[in-house]
Amino acid sequence: MLEIRDLECGYGPVAALKGISLDVGEGELVALIGANGAGKSTTLRTISGLVKPRAGTIRFRREDIAGADPARILSLGIAHCPEGRRVFPYMSVADNLAMGAYLRKDPIQVREDYDRVYSDFPRLAERRHQSAGTLSGGEQQMLAIGRALMSRPKLVMFDEPSLGLAPTIVEQTLRIIKAIRDGGATVLLVEQNAFAALELCDHAYLIETGRVVKRGLGPELIADPHVREAYLGG
Amino acid sequence: MDQFLQHLVNAMVLGGAYALLGIGLTLIFGIMNVVNFTHGALYTFGAYAMYLASTALGMNFFLALPFAIVAGLALGALLELTLLRPLRGADIDTTMLVMIGAGIILQSGTLWIFGGVAKAIPSPFPDAPLQFAGVSISWLRLFVLLAAAALIALAYAMINGTRLGRAMRATFQDADTAALMGVNVRLIYTATFALGSSFAAAAGALLGPVYVVFPQMGDLAAVKAFAIVILGGLGSIAGATIGGFVLALAEEFGAGYVSSGYRDAMGFLIIIAVLLMKPTGLFARAERVG
Ligand SMILES: Nc1ncnc2c1ncn2[C@@H]1O[C@H](COP(=O)(O)OP(=O)(O)OP(=O)(O)O)[C@@H](O)[C@H]1O
Ligand SMILES: [Mg+2]
Repeated sequence: MLEIRDLECGYGPVAALKGISLDVGEGELVALIGANGAGKSTTLRTISGLVKPRAGTIRFRREDIAGADPARILSLGIAHCPEGRRVFPYMSVADNLAMGAYLRKDPIQVREDYDRVYSDFPRLAERRHQSAGTLSGGEQQMLAIGRALMSRPKLVMFDEPSLGLAPTIVEQTLRIIKAIRDGGATVLLVEQNAFAALELCDHAYLIETGRVVKRGLGPELIADPHVREAYLGG
Repeated sequence: MDQFLQHLVNAMVLGGAYALLGIGLTLIFGIMNVVNFTHGALYTFGAYAMYLASTALGMNFFLALPFAIVAGLALGALLELTLLRPLRGADIDTTMLVMIGAGIILQSGTLWIFGGVAKAIPSPFPDAPLQFAGVSISWLRLFVLLAAAALIALAYAMINGTRLGRAMRATFQDADTAALMGVNVRLIYTATFALGSSFAAAAGALLGPVYVVFPQMGDLAAVKAFAIVILGGLGSIAGATIGGFVLALAEEFGAGYVSSGYRDAMGFLIIIAVLLMKPTGLFARAERVG
């Protein structure tokens, strides 16, 4: 479904990605793990068009999307739930969700999707007129996820959805992501919490300083001595 | 008492136009973060567009007004596309100098084309004022007040109730994330600057017929616009609306009860007082657009 080959990009003179190749198959849940500054967020930002690649190709359902506009990439079916949640703080919960459906032209189905998000996340329904900035961290994460789903994406990319959340909320968030995959979407998940991500995923990529250094099935990486040493606390 | 009511009515008329001026600038300066030194020139431009439309172009007064507003929208879009878009990411000093230059060019252009002599915009209303409870208001001023109120309501409806308004708010709260939602962020910048400019032009087109039109009329208007925006809190539409009326009230009552020579100073005294007591302006961050 998503095929990335030798992707390179950078911020000014600094290279952030130095040749990333990865594949995500239809219906899979693929994890991207790695240390701080490895280039995980940059990979997602390049896929969604926020960062322009210097070299390499990104194919989504056989269409080359490298360097395309974020709006075009979203309309092809890739949603990006960004690191740090990034809800619009001075907009209501309902308006945040409306932004998720910004490009859609099918108001009746959009209505159904609002109702689905509200029934999946009753806390959001209770707070639909409240400013998103006043929500708790966990509620904001639910909103960010709901907002990403409002575009009816085929592929959803999550960037550290568990960042800064209480342990019980982390568990809940990961369960939701699994449910999204089970509901038919494809998921690309970036996680600091490497163990949880590896347990959840079908297969995973380990990124270090802008390069893929390992790939494999979840259990394979959990068993890998280097991964155990550097990312799973020995 | 009659005197008091008369000042109040005058202040409402002036306040409506000031609010338009302030809403326009709060979009550009408070939200887009562009220190906009062309705002006064756009105010002047709106007044001259109104003058040109209702004299040389022979347009009906009520058609000339939307013409002037649309002309302001177009000039604003042009300024954004040619000056600000290439400068996005440049430092604030560069942008500020370019905007000062653009303001000077617009003002000199007006002087060159129309000359320095003040012009009057013909009013279609009867000369005899409307009398009510000891207060008199000209039909023209009543129209200015109603038109300003309608435009303010339109601004609110646009920003809070439309897809474009939502995209604007999203963009100014978090441009990258708005782009992820599919918003064409560059288009939103152009639209916002154009909209802000059209509000300045509308204020000029409305006050032009009340007073006279001359090339430097925008200078004081620009200073007042900045004062209103600071008074109301950067980026707050409600703050700019209320700020506009507060400034007009201060000017009217200051001129009426203190000294007419201090009319233009009154507002600034209030602003200094507000800045000393509440430097963020009258409105808190929570009520801001972006
Ligand atoms: N806006 C930026 N400007 C300049 N350099 C940046 C920018 N964003 C990221 N970088 C650099 O690019 C590299 C990759 O960063 P990236 O954010 O992709 O890492 P990450 O794997 O997501 O890390 P984290 O786990 O901390 O989120 C880092 O060296 C970082 O310093
Ligand atoms: Mg990151």
